[in-house]
Amino acid sequence: MAVSFPSTDYFEALKAQMVAAQEHFSRLGFIDTTFAVSVANNGKSHHYVLEFEVFELKNVSEVPAIDLKKVDFSIEGDTKVWREMIENIKRNGQADTHHDINTLAHFGEQLKIKYDDPDGHDKLYRFMESIQEFFDLSSKLEVSFN
Amino acid sequence: MAFYAYKDYTEDQKVLEAMQSVMAGNLGLHWFNANTEKFKGHASDPNRGLTYDDLNHGTYGYSDLPEHLRTSQSMVARGSDKSGKLPDMGYVVNRKSDVWSDNVSELYEETKARRWAPATDIPWAALGEKPLSETIEIACAQLYTFLQECEAVSLDFPARWVALVNQDFIEQKSFMCGQMLDASRLLEVFRKRALYGGAGLKRANVNAEQGLKEWLWAETYPQGSLSINLALSGMLLAIFRHVAAFAPSVTDRAIMRKAMQDRGRWVSYGTGALRYHLEHQPGQRVALHEYLDESEHVMLGIIGSAEFLEPLIIIAGGGLDKDQVKTGRVAVAKLIKLMMREYFARLDYAGLGGRTERSRLPQVMERVQVA
Amino acid sequence: MAYLATHDYLEDKNFVDKWLYTMRTGEMDLSWMNAKTEKIMPRPQNARRGLTYRDLDVGSYGFTEVPEKVRDNRSYAPRGAEIPEGVPDAQPWVSRKSELWAFNTESYYEEAVSRQWNATTDIPWDRLEGVEMPEATGKALSQLMTFLTEVEMIATDTPAMWLPRLNPDFIEVKAFIASQAMDEARHAEVFRKRALTTGWGLMAASPMNEMALKHLRDADSFSEMSVALHLVAEGNVLTMFRFSEYLSPTDVDKKIFRLVMQDEARHVGYGMQHFKYVLENFPEKREVLHAHLDEAENISFAGAAATEVTESFIILAGGGMKKENIEEGIKVTTQFNLKQMHEHFERLEKCGMPERKDPKRSKLYAMFLQGKADAEAHGITF
Repeated sequence: MAVSFPSTDYFEALKAQMVAAQEHFSRLGFIDTTFAVSVANNGKSHHYVLEFEVFELKNVSEVPAIDLKKVDFSIEGDTKVWREMIENIKRNGQADTHHDINTLAHFGEQLKIKYDDPDGHDKLYRFMESIQEFFDLSSKLEVSFN
Repeated sequence: MAFYAYKDYTEDQKVLEAMQSVMAGNLGLHWFNANTEKFKGHASDPNRGLTYDDLNHGTYGYSDLPEHLRTSQSMVARGSDKSGKLPDMGYVVNRKSDVWSDNVSELYEETKARRWAPATDIPWAALGEKPLSETIEIACAQLYTFLQECEAVSLDFPARWVALVNQDFIEQKSFMCGQMLDASRLLEVFRKRALYGGAGLKRANVNAEQGLKEWLWAETYPQGSLSINLALSGMLLAIFRHVAAFAPSVTDRAIMRKAMQDRGRWVSYGTGALRYHLEHQPGQRVALHEYLDESEHVMLGIIGSAEFLEPLIIIAGGGLDKDQVKTGRVAVAKLIKLMMREYFARLDYAGLGGRTERSRLPQVMERVQVA
Repeated sequence: MAYLATHDYLEDKNFVDKWLYTMRTGEMDLSWMNAKTEKIMPRPQNARRGLTYRDLDVGSYGFTEVPEKVRDNRSYAPRGAEIPEGVPDAQPWVSRKSELWAFNTESYYEEAVSRQWNATTDIPWDRLEGVEMPEATGKALSQLMTFLTEVEMIATDTPAMWLPRLNPDFIEVKAFIASQAMDEARHAEVFRKRALTTGWGLMAASPMNEMALKHLRDADSFSEMSVALHLVAEGNVLTMFRFSEYLSPTDVDKKIFRLVMQDEARHVGYGMQHFKYVLENFPEKREVLHAHLDEAENISFAGAAATEVTESFIILAGGGMKKENIEEGIKVTTQFNLKQMHEHFERLEKCGMPERKDPKRSKLYAMFLQGKADAEAHGITF
């Protein structure tokens, strides 16, 4: 059954996949960060807050707006960019170099990273492998786009 | 330099008698009722395991460590019962705010949890199966030669200071040990990558090495940490992200992804340590500004060196054609702006604001143009 | 007091202009592309082991060809790179291979990297919940752990002190020392954690052993440091870990000692191989090392007078403090002490210093023979 992107169902589905791959994520090491994902579409945005702790995604919530003081960083982009990334992941089993979070966000041209403090920002890089592999779990889902 | 024991113990009657007495069953048990806090630690989160944070309790913990350590110059474990003649280990870093960061214990745990092995965790064969063009491979070889120089200096920095830091700062010293392994692992993976591609190593970077030595040999630990953990590590973190974004191979991307994780921790520590330092020694703000006035030029020494700049242009642009070089230059110009922006933002966050107005860097960086 | 680079790059107009010109026009120097360096194509000899430093031991890049005296490189340039004029001097104190080399150093390092474990998650701490040991055993265990956590970090601090003073061409040795630093931080951590989960907290510090640590720290040369640390001290500690595993009151303690002894064995392995190498390749050093061993063995003997350690060992070995427990504990501790000394001299002999097994040469050996005779007279063999 397809999950719709963007939605809490999508992130809950990734969470379930992460639990199933616990051994792998344990080997990657602790992931202790709370970050937001923002998906814009024609002037409207959907915002989600993902709380990771130890080796898992503990909580997903949709929020009306992102409070940068309450998250380490947020990843913001147009739905077109997110869709292209997820479709790329589905095709290749993982994001290729042109479609991974780091590349898309590097110069802030496709995805933007926003943060209140630089230390929170740096958590994106401290946990990059785990974060990317979390999104790469999309390869195991059927995703439909609103 | 050698230290010689106070006496020849094999001929000391008192020592021999004490040993014989114990071995005859006469236990003195002076330690049995040691004057220490009774405590049983537990893992607050069983999934996470038993961390140093779980043992941050009373006399054993780091929270209650005083700012000035005057009564401990030996390697006695923090919180244990000290008695008898204890030697002086010669620690010169005895102020908590000279080394501490509120996140150091967390970073140490993260270092251990996120360990990896270059020999087996990098997909080397992928590069063998799809080798790069000669031009790109040579550019990679030069970049990785330069990165080895950076890691060699990064390895020496915590090694230089760890034995001089008071043993009571055990969590912070442990993090420094993690840094040493991080640096040697990164040096290893960069060396392996440089050689695997077949172009051999390239040229050492005189300007970078001169600057790196200046940073390495900073007079004080806070100055050195600012340079190595914050400035250099911030630059390297940006470079790793950049190379990952323009990675010419799956192998390179995998390397850079690991590298950015390791280096991200150094930056976090460096920023946190500066912040703690300035919160507790606000007068150092002036001194550190003056230090940066003198030492920031090293950033340009690195960024402006041909051995750093030109390979990055080629890798980002994809080659040496005019259009490719232009694409590469545009990307590198953006990288430099990103490095500067993040550097000043970290300083600001850590309490060393006003640097943008004072520093000589922005005036030079603003002159970067790509025609 | 600090080192200053030969240029202030922000004030160097030529440097700045050249950089801006490159960025603006794309005209690059590119001379580095023709660096006069060797081209090799290393591949993993064993696919399961991955790409190791041994696979890179080829030509000018390899460790085999590093000469006895490194004359060409005192900078941070990686071994085998082209070294232009103007690189700084890294101020190495040790540029002589036999002062620090050991057969198999690169493999010890690779092994260390692949066998890193985590004191936070790899020990089943939860199995200690509800475990109550008798006071004597609990305190004795805590005292042993207090001693071990106290001494472990010397094996970080001491080699780390030397690390920046080693010529950067000795990449594999520096890497090994970095891995040892992390191993020892982990050991200090696991022993501290175990002491603080007994319910008794830490116990008494060990002044006699602190003196030993000071001796280890302040050596006149890397080789002397290594002999005292890797061979003598860690050799002794390795024997202690093996005995401690045997004496462990819980399976959690057994696991701890099994894991730490793996790491320690690597360090001792390096120490033995280095000792062998220096005796073979720098024979003039033999008497210097003898003199240092005289001191190291004196201090090693003094460690036996650290009654807080001996007594806690006796109680653990005997399982309590009743007369019969103490008797059994003394028997086991005697065996342990003799085994420690025996293995020490065995290592020295195997590595090329058999003459130390002579009571006229080594006072510790004289004590060993006497102790062995006394033990045998009491029916104790090891």
